[in-house]
Amino acid sequence: MSNFIFGRYLPGHSWIHRMSPQSKLLLSFYFVIVIFFANNGYSYGLLSALIVFVILMSGVSIAYFLKGIRPLIWLIVFTVLLQVLFSSGGHVLWHFGPFSITDQSLINGGFIFIRFLLIIMISTVLTLTTTPLAIADGVQTVLKPLKKVKFPVDTLALMLSIALRFVPTLMDEMETILNAQRARGVDFGSGSLKHRVKAAVPLLVPLFTGAINHAENLSTAMEARGFSDSEHRTKYRLYKWQFRDTISWIVFLLVGGLVLVFRKY
Amino acid sequence: MDKAISLKNVTHTYQANTPFAQNALDNVTLNIEKGEFTAIIGHTGSGKSTLVQHINALLKPTTGSLNVLGKVITPTTTNKNLKAFRKQVGMVFQFPEKQLFEETVIKDIMFGPKNYGATDEQARHSAEHAMKLVGLDHSLSNKSPFDLSGGQMRRVAIAGVLAMDPEILILDEPTAGLDPRGHNEIMDLAKYLNQQQHMTIILITHQMDDVVNYATNVVVMDQGQAVKIGPPDTIFTDLDWLRKMQLDLPSSAEFARKLESAGIAFDQLPLTVNQLVDRVAQLVGKKAAHE
Repeated sequence: MSNFIFGRYLPGHSWIHRMSPQSKLLLSFYFVIVIFFANNGYSYGLLSALIVFVILMSGVSIAYFLKGIRPLIWLIVFTVLLQVLFSSGGHVLWHFGPFSITDQSLINGGFIFIRFLLIIMISTVLTLTTTPLAIADGVQTVLKPLKKVKFPVDTLALMLSIALRFVPTLMDEMETILNAQRARGVDFGSGSLKHRVKAAVPLLVPLFTGAINHAENLSTAMEARGFSDSEHRTKYRLYKWQFRDTISWIVFLLVGGLVLVFRKY
Repeated sequence: MDKAISLKNVTHTYQANTPFAQNALDNVTLNIEKGEFTAIIGHTGSGKSTLVQHINALLKPTTGSLNVLGKVITPTTTNKNLKAFRKQVGMVFQFPEKQLFEETVIKDIMFGPKNYGATDEQARHSAEHAMKLVGLDHSLSNKSPFDLSGGQMRRVAIAGVLAMDPEILILDEPTAGLDPRGHNEIMDLAKYLNQQQHMTIILITHQMDDVVNYATNVVVMDQGQAVKIGPPDTIFTDLDWLRKMQLDLPSSAEFARKLESAGIAFDQLPLTVNQLVDRVAQLVGKKAAHE
């Protein structure tokens, strides 16, 4: 549970922490796109150097970033193996039936590995340095242009922030229910599969009941305070574009341009 | 008397080895005898709930050890043998009605005993007995627990714990959100279980009237430490200290203090309504004799 993505925000005052969430969000997307343009050692090296720099700038201990990899490690290993064993071209080093390892496939496997690592790192930087609510605000800002085509951006952002706000509440509740049922003799996480599925019922029914109760209470409370989604809302926190955002974009755009140049080599 | 629970230098750290590490229990040592009615008081976040979760082995100490009904729990105790042990320590959480999930009341109450290996028949028998104890009418057996009133749901949940026939019963603010009548009924049930069935009761509460009316022993928690342990009349003596602990006086004592400021002296603060009435009757009697 401690690896859960929304619970992982670490308070801080670094350059990255203080960037506006919308530009962090867009920069992460942009960076992921750039990763897919990288095709050789130079470009991957440059992107890796940038991510190391970003991690250092975030002021967060590297251990947290390594923790972010753990839940995905099998996916990474599987994909890299697939790439190594099945891609063709280059000098064959070893082969067995349909499997073969070539020098080219080893290099490709290495690139895939770095690609995964880079994507995980940039998204970890985002979630470690940005509160969930700031991310929701960022999404709202980024999606604002869609208002032109009558897309309910504000409602969507509200839904997102309410959902995020209830994550810790529901986790707390789950913990309590888990304990209450354990006190009544339920063994979670042991025994046969059938036993485990059966043990989930006393956990899930109260959890859903609680969630629906919360939703009902919240909607009553919002209506009682005159909420309506048609009104123009102001915000308590305003995330303005800052000078540091511009600087960060210049750095990232430069790196992106260099990656395009390196493609030719 | 035998010891039911004894804690030795128990410390519990939440989220150890992270920037969020926090000592919820700090070197707590205390003993609770069998058959005692212990109240645990202290302001929010003082470590009351963490303390009682150790007694049920839902949490294990980070350092130190505890002995509950002869079973020793240390930081390295494995989860394996805890199930049988938990049967002996019934735990009623805050707002226990949240744990209900079965289709019918009787099934929900039978859930605990059945988990501990009772047959359908045995479980039904203890469930019916538990329903009688908490004052739930037999006709409710086959209703859905979600169709009941809040107070009734609370009783179903408490019955679900009592049906396991525990030796120690832990009640974590069992009357929060109940009306005065529901409150008294639950507290009287706790008293009955303690006096007639000789159950060891541990009550977490913010209501000082309950402490003086029901408890024989009080543990005051502050910042994860058990700062004072003793019978109620030794706890409610130092008013400045109580205020520092963010604790109230029982209402009788509060009333007596108002009488004091109006010039009526008490040699000892009365804690319960009966003590207050006795003292006032004495004073009135003295006055009447003078006239």
